[in-house]
Amino acid sequence: MRLINTTAIIINDKCTGCRICSFVCPTLAITMEPVPGTKNRKLAVVEEESCTGCTACEQRCPFDAIQMEKLTEPRFIGVDIQQSDTEQVHQLCYDSHLHPEQVVCYCTGTRAEEVAAAILQGADTPDKISMATGLRTGCTVECLQPAMRLLKTAGVELESPKGRYQWYGPTPTIWDIPDHVKEKYAQRGFYFDADIEFFEKIRKAPLSSEQNYTEREEE
Amino acid sequence: MHHPPIQPLAPRPSRYGIDPSLVKKRFADLPGMTSLSIKELFPDTPEVIYPGPEGIQAVRQAAEAALENVDLSMIEPHHTVNVLASHHGFTLLGGEPYAELLRTVYDVVKQRTGAKEVRLRAGVGLRFRETEEYIVRFNLKKHFDSARGMAPIDEGIPIETEIGTLYGLKRTYDADWIIHVHNSDVREVHFHRQVDRAVKPFGMSYARIETRSTYHQNLGPRGANFTARAIFESPFVQSKFVGAVFLNMSPSGVLSVEADNDLYRINDTITLDGLRYYGNMFQLLGKIEDCIVGLDFPCPVPYVFSAGVIYCNFVGANVDLFDLDVKLAPYTWYTEALYGKDGKPLIPDIKPVNPAIRMVVHNYAWIGYPSAFFSQQLPTIVIGKEQADLFEHDPQNLEYMKYAMIGENLEDAMKFAYRTTGTDKVIVFDGAVGGINVSESLAEYLLKVAPEVSAEVDQMLMPKWLKQRGILVSA
Repeated sequence: MRLINTTAIIINDKCTGCRICSFVCPTLAITMEPVPGTKNRKLAVVEEESCTGCTACEQRCPFDAIQMEKLTEPRFIGVDIQQSDTEQVHQLCYDSHLHPEQVVCYCTGTRAEEVAAAILQGADTPDKISMATGLRTGCTVECLQPAMRLLKTAGVELESPKGRYQWYGPTPTIWDIPDHVKEKYAQRGFYFDADIEFFEKIRKAPLSSEQNYTEREEE
Repeated sequence: MHHPPIQPLAPRPSRYGIDPSLVKKRFADLPGMTSLSIKELFPDTPEVIYPGPEGIQAVRQAAEAALENVDLSMIEPHHTVNVLASHHGFTLLGGEPYAELLRTVYDVVKQRTGAKEVRLRAGVGLRFRETEEYIVRFNLKKHFDSARGMAPIDEGIPIETEIGTLYGLKRTYDADWIIHVHNSDVREVHFHRQVDRAVKPFGMSYARIETRSTYHQNLGPRGANFTARAIFESPFVQSKFVGAVFLNMSPSGVLSVEADNDLYRINDTITLDGLRYYGNMFQLLGKIEDCIVGLDFPCPVPYVFSAGVIYCNFVGANVDLFDLDVKLAPYTWYTEALYGKDGKPLIPDIKPVNPAIRMVVHNYAWIGYPSAFFSQQLPTIVIGKEQADLFEHDPQNLEYMKYAMIGENLEDAMKFAYRTTGTDKVIVFDGAVGGINVSESLAEYLLKVAPEVSAEVDQMLMPKWLKQRGILVSA
């Protein structure tokens, strides 16, 4: 669940139609619309229902043509996990080397299971996942790859939006590092195999609903 | 005999913090506060070149001398050069030493090579306008042929590395040559674990979101910083890399300026110095048994610092953050990710945050970094409704105030903290330079335990830390 309590407002007098805001918006909430009565002039337009108030556009606008405004009626977005098959949700997480309860977005507190459920309910791009769950609508930076990993595991073919900056593609994980690279840097303080082992332990940890903490401690 | 508190850095006007006029009182103004200098705690602390009697000129002179040994012959007059900078440098000692270092690099490169265009490209973390603010504050646009901030969501380029494709910021690399200008302040040891500290910006402030997310989600708590090495070692980056210039920092100030064409030579120097000088402070703070923490510095919550230690280092000071046998710091994003829906760690071997912290009084700190974990884990009072409102509407901190209380003013909040925690020990993260502001009772305790900490670091911990990093030091 992600609280939305601000929205981006375009200051039309300052907007030059440079499109940068539309290239960085994680939920594709900004489009460029023709200005009536002009030949080629376009201005940015924010679709309020899709805007999460992340400030990416406002912080990258070169002309200070965007400001954030508080919403008088804040709202929540989020995916109802119960609408998906729990076993499928968990399997998708496990196959992506994630524990279902693992937090994958540090700003919004979104957990892997919610992203997995969003994918199973039809979100087939990072942008749609952001719109559904709020993932990547805080700092907009650090949580792209878990979404990519889950999409890839779900068999979604990803094609990055041409000419835009929202996302380019999946990147390597610790499970992809070739042995010769591990060997090459083994003496320099990188503990790849030990971290893989640790992740494996996490992935296999029981759900908090299955076992209380005291039981976990006793294990 | 107690010293008066060190004057903290003044609040800064910034879009990421409250208006400085709203910061009515600082911890340093409270009764019962005193300061400890690093020299008092650790008499073998080395002399620094800044702060010092020569002022900022000392940084310029050291940089010019260090750059004499750097080969710039590959830069021809028709070439362009990007001087790469990062936001953190501007938070050290008020920012002027780093700004002066950048200006000196520009002057030397221009003078020795005649390069037609030497630009400043300054990367950030999660506050996309931060270096733009510093460029204005330190008048860097006027000094460089051009100067601009870069954010991780800006246009990127793919970089082929030995582990696969990662992504850098296009503007980092849009010149014939790059010069990496950074600092050795240990800072986020929970992320980089003092492994390849010098290389980190290639995976962070010069990198795109795909790469940063790889660092924080894909490679694991002790492999994360390999992201930076993979990019730095790529043929693409190597084809543009001239060398690096570093402010070599200690908790007391600037030790030296290091410059080299070989980044790994600088890396070994700063790794060694960082372990030695910051190791003492980290271990010392780890000895504190109970205290109230004061946050009072123009930086996001985890980054407020004192005596070279950032607040989140202290949150993890119940373990040895330099010890690579420790899988996971009590605070790091990989740890934060592993708290289940019941608010407890998914596996029991995840260490809790530092139990010595009984309460946190947040007098002044910025937004722009996900900080809810801190208020979830530690009782927190935020001073002033305006500051609370700022956090409540920050997309990175929507839940910070869900767990924190609001105090009307610092004095009353501290009375409450003293009464409810039962401790009179206070440690303040307010940017004090050369020392640390603490309550008198904590000062006495720290002075008492510092000698044993120093001996432990020298005799037991340093050999272990160095061995773990493959660094051989001859006597």
